[in-house]
Amino acid sequence: MNKSRLQQLQQLLAAPVEMMKVPKKVWTQEGGAKHPEPGAYLQRGGLFWLATKVDASEVQLLQSEGELTPLERELLKWALQGGSGKLTSAATDAENQARRLGDWIQQSIAAGDWRAEIPDRLELHNRLFDGMIPFLLLREQADGRDPSYAELEKAFRSYLSDEMLLIPIREREWLILGSDRLLAEVDTTEEELVEREETKEALQSLATGLHQMLTEEWGGECHVAVAEPIIPTESLVYTVGMLRETMLLGRKFHVGMQVHLPWLIHLERLLNGIPEPVRTRFMEEMAGRQDLFADPETVSTLDAFFAMDCNVSETAKRLFIHRNTLLYRLDKLKQEAGLDVRSFNDAVLVRIMLLLYKVTKRK
Amino acid sequence: MAGVRLEHVFKKYPGSDKASVTDFNLDIQDKEFLVLVGPSGCGKSTTLRMIAGLEEISEGKLYIGDRVVNDVAPKDRDIAMVFQSYALYPHMNVYQNMAFGLKLRKFRKDEIDRRVREAARTLEIEHLLDRKPKALSGGQRQRVALGRAIVREPQVFLMDEPLSNLDAKLRTQMRANISKLMKRLETTCIYVTHDQTEAMTMGDRIVVMKDGLIQQAATPEELYNHPINLFVAGFIGAPAMNFLTGQLVEEGGAVRFKATGVNVEVPQGKAKVLRDKGYIGREIIMGVRPEDLHEEPVFIEASPNSVINASIEVSENLGHEMYLYLNGLGKDNIIARVDGRAGLQEGQNVKLAIDMNKVHVFDKDSELNILEA
Repeated sequence: MNKSRLQQLQQLLAAPVEMMKVPKKVWTQEGGAKHPEPGAYLQRGGLFWLATKVDASEVQLLQSEGELTPLERELLKWALQGGSGKLTSAATDAENQARRLGDWIQQSIAAGDWRAEIPDRLELHNRLFDGMIPFLLLREQADGRDPSYAELEKAFRSYLSDEMLLIPIREREWLILGSDRLLAEVDTTEEELVEREETKEALQSLATGLHQMLTEEWGGECHVAVAEPIIPTESLVYTVGMLRETMLLGRKFHVGMQVHLPWLIHLERLLNGIPEPVRTRFMEEMAGRQDLFADPETVSTLDAFFAMDCNVSETAKRLFIHRNTLLYRLDKLKQEAGLDVRSFNDAVLVRIMLLLYKVTKRK
Repeated sequence: MAGVRLEHVFKKYPGSDKASVTDFNLDIQDKEFLVLVGPSGCGKSTTLRMIAGLEEISEGKLYIGDRVVNDVAPKDRDIAMVFQSYALYPHMNVYQNMAFGLKLRKFRKDEIDRRVREAARTLEIEHLLDRKPKALSGGQRQRVALGRAIVREPQVFLMDEPLSNLDAKLRTQMRANISKLMKRLETTCIYVTHDQTEAMTMGDRIVVMKDGLIQQAATPEELYNHPINLFVAGFIGAPAMNFLTGQLVEEGGAVRFKATGVNVEVPQGKAKVLRDKGYIGREIIMGVRPEDLHEEPVFIEASPNSVINASIEVSENLGHEMYLYLNGLGKDNIIARVDGRAGLQEGQNVKLAIDMNKVHVFDKDSELNILEA
């Protein structure tokens, strides 16, 4: 940080400000985190330290008097963004370009123009011709711990590769485009993935890994939806709209689920489209039978049973229970509700009831 | 390394009237293996997630070491987590999976390599370092997930049901591996499970939770032998403790417990406490562990005042032991755990003696253990 900037900061803080370097060991001994990152804050009696740059052995920091409030810390951290100790403008060119593309996507969706073509004026246009995997990310925690664009981009580059694009769309909503070559890397062999089911499985595991990585780093509730690879120039707006819908339906019908897949919510989409009076009538006709779902064991058993395509052996394996225990539970359901989920017609009814129950019970 | 302290911690979700975790106070010692156990919805995972920084703390303070970390992001808490669904990064090999967190934190390459190889050696997965997750078995994947946490060399490990996706055999094996590993690493570990066998076998100390409240925090032995209330008594132990509701009466200078099919004498020490606390003539709940019901003739002869008669409704022979589901005692089935070679059959009448020195007595209203209070 140059002298004039330092003086400006001193005036703002109304206290002397000093730039210094300390060994990491000293930082830790003083009560700081073992692996500090730029922006890490440490109170030492009447002084505070704010890390501006961290390398393997040393922490470059800014020292001043007093104690900063959480908001002041965040503001100072923001001002020092970039970790080099320079006061820089917060957004880089890449971020500005991504934000412009994100704004255009949002405007197109808002205008109902899901088939809009990406205009040439957007700088990222020429990077959208290759096959890419679209992930939609929604972070929900509002406790001020949200990562910056730079932090997120760094994490995604490490996770997906340098070819990725991070596009902010709305507040806390991000589109991440990763190269479709990642799919080949998921497979253990070098052969191209030809099976569609395998592709879906690979996409699910990539999205789950991405969710885990984000959660481990920043915490908070976050949702990830993923779709099959696209050529962004052809269908970017449509894909974002579809992923948004997937996330909405996934969260509505499957509370607790945080990775959402468009190919697993066909029935949910259909049920969501049924007018409310028709849904209510159906549930009224099934009155009494819904009490079954008050027992969490019944719900988890049925969820697993349907997830395993009504296969008794596989469901028992998945639930770590004996096959006979599962049969006992299903028979109990049959006796109490008169619905045998091992018969196709009753299974359909129970599946629909269960989905609607999950939505209506939260109202 | 560091301890973890929770001071009056509450978790309340927006729109919910009831707190998911209520006034949680606990001091977890450095290097301690602490297990949070309880039924589904008791708040154990929420508590762990608050320690991890994945959930906001609504009220109270959380310390890791001497530092209050309420507002510190998970990545800056110097913790490492292993979840139930250990999602490995599918496009990276085992080495890259383990190195990822360190790479993100800009560790030097040689340091990353040292840590990954050391963790791989500890977990015996060195030969798998080049493999992709898809080519690994469930147990191997689980070890990679553990490896990913170990390389961080955190102050605290947080594990949320890490074994529940494994089959029974592998779970038993991994249970022992994790215990051994944590002892070797000498790191504080907070482990969440709903499985009381896991809790009993792994924890230095166990916290039993219900409805967001700590019921009891104690060593496994203490919990098993001195449960503080009816819930802990019933939750810890498999098969679960038997409960008989009946009355305490004074007869000929002795205190007796009477319930359907049961009329037994309470030992003097216990009787004195019950008398002093005014329980004579009142209804109480008596708790008897299945192994404290004896069918051996020697025991029956030596305990004439605690003999009961019942019929065997169902018997389950596990080889080394046998569970007898007995009729005619109290309102529900009573289970006795006897020698697998006892040769008892279903439908047979059986004489058993209760080891009255080991029974527990609970207040019917407060459900507290009268003898421990």
